[in-house]
Amino acid sequence: MKRLDSILLKSFLYGLPAFIVFAAFSYCYSLGVVNHANVYLNLLNSFAGLVFALWMTLSLYLSVRLMVSEPFRDQVLARLTFIRERDEREVILTGKATRTTFLTSLAILIFLFCLSCFQVSIYRLPQERAVDGKTGIISLGLGFNLLEHSKQDKPRETIEKKDIFSYTGLPVSSTTVILMLIVWQIISYNYSMWRLTR
Amino acid sequence: MSKSLPQLKIVNRLHVLRAERRMTQEQLAKEIGITRATIVAIEGGGYNPSLELAFRIARYFGADINTIFSIEEETK
Repeated sequence: MKRLDSILLKSFLYGLPAFIVFAAFSYCYSLGVVNHANVYLNLLNSFAGLVFALWMTLSLYLSVRLMVSEPFRDQVLARLTFIRERDEREVILTGKATRTTFLTSLAILIFLFCLSCFQVSIYRLPQERAVDGKTGIISLGLGFNLLEHSKQDKPRETIEKKDIFSYTGLPVSSTTVILMLIVWQIISYNYSMWRLTR
Repeated sequence: MSKSLPQLKIVNRLHVLRAERRMTQEQLAKEIGITRATIVAIEGGGYNPSLELAFRIARYFGADINTIFSIEEETK
């Protein structure tokens, strides 16, 4: 790991409590809890903004370094996920646990992909629009959008109907899915490792 | 139809050799450069060491590899 990366990583980690305090202060400031007329508090708010910008830049830089630098990735992520390879047996066990994690994560991703593509809608039409005398409709569909905004640009349905059930893709945001997958990977790896070593 | 191969099991005398030298698992692990958990796994038959590690163990005890590790046919 390069010396600069090491210094920046330590700054990022040790600066985290300060960042949280400044973020809380800025939030209070924006709510008006803090007196805006006070010059010192105004200065502190400006400083908090600077800290926030620096911390964001640092987090972006470090996440890019994690992707491109193998030694940095090995050192940081291995510590974060509790990977230990002190001898050949631990290397083999790590391989097995990683394989399990990879395959289960892939299975989850396939499942999530299916859930995000499927569209199910159950609704009731007004009597005048009945099809063969039936008003209850089940509509099934598949949707794939490369970009998030193309999903929103779709024209709204104009048919008058009473929705009973409607499912048009995952109800959780992409940020939640990504976070869940990160947590899942760490938990899955450590659980597999625990099962292999017990 | 292919003939089914007999199941082979690698057994070892590591715990005997260690006991003869009055060594703890921790001490042996430190001498060979592996973790105590690996010594426990090898002695318990839960892990078969690589050739490299097997030779390292044999060299440490000054014994032939065949006197420490041997193969037995597993009975069903």
